[in-house]
Amino acid sequence: MPEKNIVEMHNIVKKFGAVVALKGVDFYVRENEIVGLVGDNGAGKSTLVKILFGIHASDEGEIIIKGKKYKRLTPKKAYELGIVLIHQERTLCENHPIWRNVFMGRELTNRFGFLKIKEMKELAYKSLAALELTKMPVDTPVKYLSGGYKQGVQISRAFTFEADLVILDEPTVALSLAEVQKVLDYVRELKRKGKSAIFISHNIYHVYPVVDRFVILNRGEVVAEFYKKDLTPEDLSEIMISIARTGKVPKEYEELNLYKKASPQSAS
Amino acid sequence: MAEIYKMHGIKKILYEFKLQFVITIIFLLIWLAFYLLNPPAFSNPFTYTSIMGVVPFTIIPAISLTLVIIAGEIDLSFASVMALGPLVMALTWQAFGEPTPLGILLGLLAGLGAGLLNGILITKLGIPSLIATIGTLFLWRGVVLVVTEGFSIPLGEFRNTLIYSIFVGRVFGIPVQFFWAIVLAIIFWIILNRHKFGAYIYYIGDNRTAARMVGINVDRVLITVYAIHGMVAAFAGILDSLEMATFWPALGDIYMLKSIASVVIGGTPVTGGVGTIYGTFLGGMILGFIEMGVLASGVSGFWIRLVHGVVIIIALAAQGIIRKGELAKIRIMRLLTT
Ligand SMILES: Nc1ncnc2c1ncn2[C@@H]1O[C@H](COP(=O)(O)OP(=O)(O)O)[C@@H](O)[C@H]1O
Ligand SMILES: [Mg+2]
Repeated sequence: MPEKNIVEMHNIVKKFGAVVALKGVDFYVRENEIVGLVGDNGAGKSTLVKILFGIHASDEGEIIIKGKKYKRLTPKKAYELGIVLIHQERTLCENHPIWRNVFMGRELTNRFGFLKIKEMKELAYKSLAALELTKMPVDTPVKYLSGGYKQGVQISRAFTFEADLVILDEPTVALSLAEVQKVLDYVRELKRKGKSAIFISHNIYHVYPVVDRFVILNRGEVVAEFYKKDLTPEDLSEIMISIARTGKVPKEYEELNLYKKASPQSAS
Repeated sequence: MAEIYKMHGIKKILYEFKLQFVITIIFLLIWLAFYLLNPPAFSNPFTYTSIMGVVPFTIIPAISLTLVIIAGEIDLSFASVMALGPLVMALTWQAFGEPTPLGILLGLLAGLGAGLLNGILITKLGIPSLIATIGTLFLWRGVVLVVTEGFSIPLGEFRNTLIYSIFVGRVFGIPVQFFWAIVLAIIFWIILNRHKFGAYIYYIGDNRTAARMVGINVDRVLITVYAIHGMVAAFAGILDSLEMATFWPALGDIYMLKSIASVVIGGTPVTGGVGTIYGTFLGGMILGFIEMGVLASGVSGFWIRLVHGVVIIIALAAQGIIRKGELAKIRIMRLLTT
């Protein structure tokens, strides 16, 4: 397994007014690694990946992507670096057709900026077919779709783009079981292709089957990191409950905790 | 029902473009009504060339205003920018003693600058567009009044020059400014529907937060939209001053509400996110037909406002009914796609 980091974030601090959302977070993703980023509501998971994607600027800290240091990213820069973020929030334009929503912000154009409509429709169709969402033609305005279908449209954005690092922020929330399986298949496919991913979820049973490593965030701090192979889903569940109650990892798991043993910097 | 978007041909077109369809019907009905009221006038080509001579001053600024409104914003100041542009042109021509193209260029640049100022006030300082453009509406009209001291600037001496024929001449009796309106409508239709920039305008109006989150530079798009709109408004003002062969300080005032009405009649809601150039164009045509029709039917010109008002309300009511029907359809379709 390659040991190079595709992304490193050091000492990331982010404040929203009086709220300190991130209190000096160190985080990294290795090449061809799937990281499960878990933690309670409000722990700062979304904020962390939004900083990585350039939506927010961090107040302190630095980001290293593919060996290069960045103080401030923009989504445009992040796309260029091969990073795509599928937001937790709905980021769809309801009055516009499926295919336009799939490519929103990342349109295929000629060099004068004119849209390659036919290509985008075809690619959008293919990406949705990967999720078995072909019930509605890609011309359908998104407002006509159910919640799960909309979520699928949003996730399919990642499929149209050969990204090196795909970030999925709570992608499975509105999905049916079959649709969840499709998303998990997609993440496995990323792994097979040598890509990396950050998979954020509330539901550890959704993340567990596909990830290599867990990072647990609590109140703006990383409290633990585990290799998946060291834990059963039940162990993880127990750890999460303990962290929610006491902010600490139960003693019997402490020696498996990578975060205390080795700082992320030395892991690289 | 779930198959609505699997329909083909005429049915699909009618469904997808029903707002445009309705506006077209309204336009044809008004035409028919005036024709029946006064067949000789509405069989006379002169009536139509008269309409084509004046509607461009309403339609042209309305076309770029459509972009502003689709983006979920508004602009009132264009009425004053319609005077600022030709003022700069008229002063340049006076200084040079000839109708130099430089005058037109400087006039357009003045409009561009006014648009940039709007865009910056709205995006960078976060001033709501209604308020910001009320401010610049007064500002530019004030500048025009102070500079001219309220006097007109005659442009008659520059008539019968090439530059006149290019902008407001007649081709086969048809006023050239009407062709400018058509050309601009086509260009803006292409930008809106076939270019990335137009797509961003729609997304910003539909869901601004989402647009930001997928990496669209919202401020830059809005500033550009306002800059374009300022320039187009200045252009419309230049055309009007050339057509009238004079610059007068109140130029543009009467178009503010008419242009906004054209956009709204045309089915672009002030809530943004949707809208068409076709609708705006026809909206402007409807207002122009009413003006000419009322005058031709021999009743007092005071009726114009009243008929405008009635038609605006009918158009809005029709749109309201269509949108209500759509809501019901959305509920059903969502169930069917679960
Ligand atoms: N745009 C924002 N403005 C103000 N506070 C925010 C914003 N985004 C997140 N927060 C706050 O930051 C904290 C972390 O939020 P978030 O990153 O969304 O957590 P998670 O994704 O783990 O549920 C929360 O307290 C939240 O209220
Ligand atoms: Mg979140």
